[in-house]
Amino acid sequence: MIYTFTTNDFWFMVQGAGITFVLTIASGFLGTVMGFLIGWARTAPNFLIYHLLGAYIDVIRSVPLIIQFVLFNSFMAILGYPLNPFISGLITLSIYISGYVAEVVKAGIESTPRVTRLAARGLGMTYFQDFYNIVLPIGVRTVFPAWTGLMLGLMKDTSLIAVLGATPPELLRASQIIINRIQEPLMILLGAGAFYFVMCYAITVFAKRYEQGWEQKKEIA
Amino acid sequence: MLFEYTFQWRVVWKHWPELVQGGILTLQITILSIILGLAIASVLAVLQDSKYQTARGIASTWVALARNTPALLQIYMAYFGLGAFGIHLSPYAAVLGAITFNNAGYLTEILRGGFNSIPASQKYAALGLGLSKNQAYVYVVLPQVLQAVFLPIMNQVIWAMLGTSLGMVIGLQELTGMTTFLQSQTFRPFEFYFIAACLYLVIAKLATVLAQLVAAYWFKGKATR
Amino acid sequence: MIEIRDVHKSFGKLEVLKGIDLDVEKGEVVCLIGASGSGKSTLLLCINALERIDRGKIFVDDIDVHSPQTNQDHLRRKLGIIFQQFNAFPHLTALNNVSLAPRKVLKMTTTDAQELAVQHLERVGLGDKVDQYPAQLSGGQQQRLAIARALAMNPDYLLLDEVTSALDPELVGEVLDTLRMLAQDGMTMIAVTHEMPFAREVADRVAFFHEGVIHEVGAAKDLINSPKKKRTQEFLGNIL
Repeated sequence: MIYTFTTNDFWFMVQGAGITFVLTIASGFLGTVMGFLIGWARTAPNFLIYHLLGAYIDVIRSVPLIIQFVLFNSFMAILGYPLNPFISGLITLSIYISGYVAEVVKAGIESTPRVTRLAARGLGMTYFQDFYNIVLPIGVRTVFPAWTGLMLGLMKDTSLIAVLGATPPELLRASQIIINRIQEPLMILLGAGAFYFVMCYAITVFAKRYEQGWEQKKEIA
Repeated sequence: MLFEYTFQWRVVWKHWPELVQGGILTLQITILSIILGLAIASVLAVLQDSKYQTARGIASTWVALARNTPALLQIYMAYFGLGAFGIHLSPYAAVLGAITFNNAGYLTEILRGGFNSIPASQKYAALGLGLSKNQAYVYVVLPQVLQAVFLPIMNQVIWAMLGTSLGMVIGLQELTGMTTFLQSQTFRPFEFYFIAACLYLVIAKLATVLAQLVAAYWFKGKATR
Repeated sequence: MIEIRDVHKSFGKLEVLKGIDLDVEKGEVVCLIGASGSGKSTLLLCINALERIDRGKIFVDDIDVHSPQTNQDHLRRKLGIIFQQFNAFPHLTALNNVSLAPRKVLKMTTTDAQELAVQHLERVGLGDKVDQYPAQLSGGQQQRLAIARALAMNPDYLLLDEVTSALDPELVGEVLDTLRMLAQDGMTMIAVTHEMPFAREVADRVAFFHEGVIHEVGAAKDLINSPKKKRTQEFLGNIL
């Protein structure tokens, strides 16, 4: 009997795309919060913190994500706290992206010239007033495109969570399940590619609009 | 509890030769995919500035597809998808092809960025001295482009290496695939993946340090734009 | 000599040059003055064919610059050009910045070209900087490097495009001194400049550009000290 692509299959893929989206938003949020703290901490004049966190970032950026998934998962099992694969994958993705976000945040904080910060402090602002009112707005505008790029990368990387066999399946895993049943890899993969493409494109357009808003208000030099 | 688990590293050591073999395959695919990717990217970068719309279309489609879909999907496409056209690739060819496709997309953007970072006035200055267009390009523009793209390309090399780990998914025994195979034989996943992670870290660190040394020597004293 | 006849040039809808006529004799120093955007710099780029012209003709030693039969690479050897933004080649040492064109264009041997380069670097006072990269030089030094680089090609004419505008005030003097020296040696120069004292002292003639045409031209001292036309008076009144 020959199986064909049904409406159910289509909705299965849409649901997969939804899971991809949720994974991206959740791990993107957690990873950005962690990465922000790590990147910020690395701008403090503390040799030990700088290099310890630097090593953390180095490891994350030099080991394949697949291995990070499996290692974290089996490490938690060894500790005696086996996690649901989906949760385990979500945490790994957050840790993973935090390493990249940290570098971007550090660059953003350092993009405010020293003299500008001195000027702010010279007006009587405290460290935190200067950070919140001067450094943060300048930094965010400078590294926003780089951060958007990281989030797009993260969305594509969520597909690797499949190695843990996490359920519910995200887009690529869902597509593979359908392929296994109906044996039409080309069409399904093209469809999945189109989903990813559209989601990436949507985020890019959304980000561009944000940037243009800043530009029109001359908030970007 | 952590302490109820006994780590067994000896079993990993016993399979060290296989791990090295996997590592060599990883390096091989990485280097080949970068060389091929650079060759294709050079062509695509030229096509993007072509006066023919078709040429521009091909180049920008390639770049957009490579950058906006997951590398894993690209590997599936090469391994399963091309079957629809009667093309059946080995896992090795599929991974090499997909990572090359991916590299070419990203490298095209890197090359374009490199060219755009050189101000047009540099070409003017060279022409003003009587150099021909080709001479201006070879002696003035190109050396500066190479300097601008060197470190971004090295980043892409690391990316390519990480990308080859996806070969595991279609049964290629590069470092990750080999590790997966070995741990399935011995049931010591943590130990095997931990050592594999260390190997990746060492390779990436060596490559980065080497690149920085080369850059420090090559670009000594020269302006970085 | 350089002969400029009825030259027109537009960028898109913006007409920058609206019929320029000017002759520059061998050995003469002519300064072009006028507000920004009045077309002075564009004219320089047109003289050595770095920009095309829309109408008119430019002759350099009776060679029609913009004729398709003219080998423009060849022609540019006669015309040294120096820019506001130094444009030193950042990947080459001072020595190689200067010796590149003699080696590649004049086909000199590396030894000869480097010897020549050292001579010219010494001439502009950079004899001790031969092995430095541009990033290690000050703005004034980079600009003198650019002058040495142009001189090494032994040009018959020098085109100078606001060569002191990007310099800190204390560095302007060293560059103007170098140019003064060249003028005394009899170099033919066309210089776009905002340095009126320099123009008054060194130039033989001064041309005032206004809205794409030469509004007034005359002997340097006369034009700067007692301009005849109202626009020229206003311009000089504002900047002096």
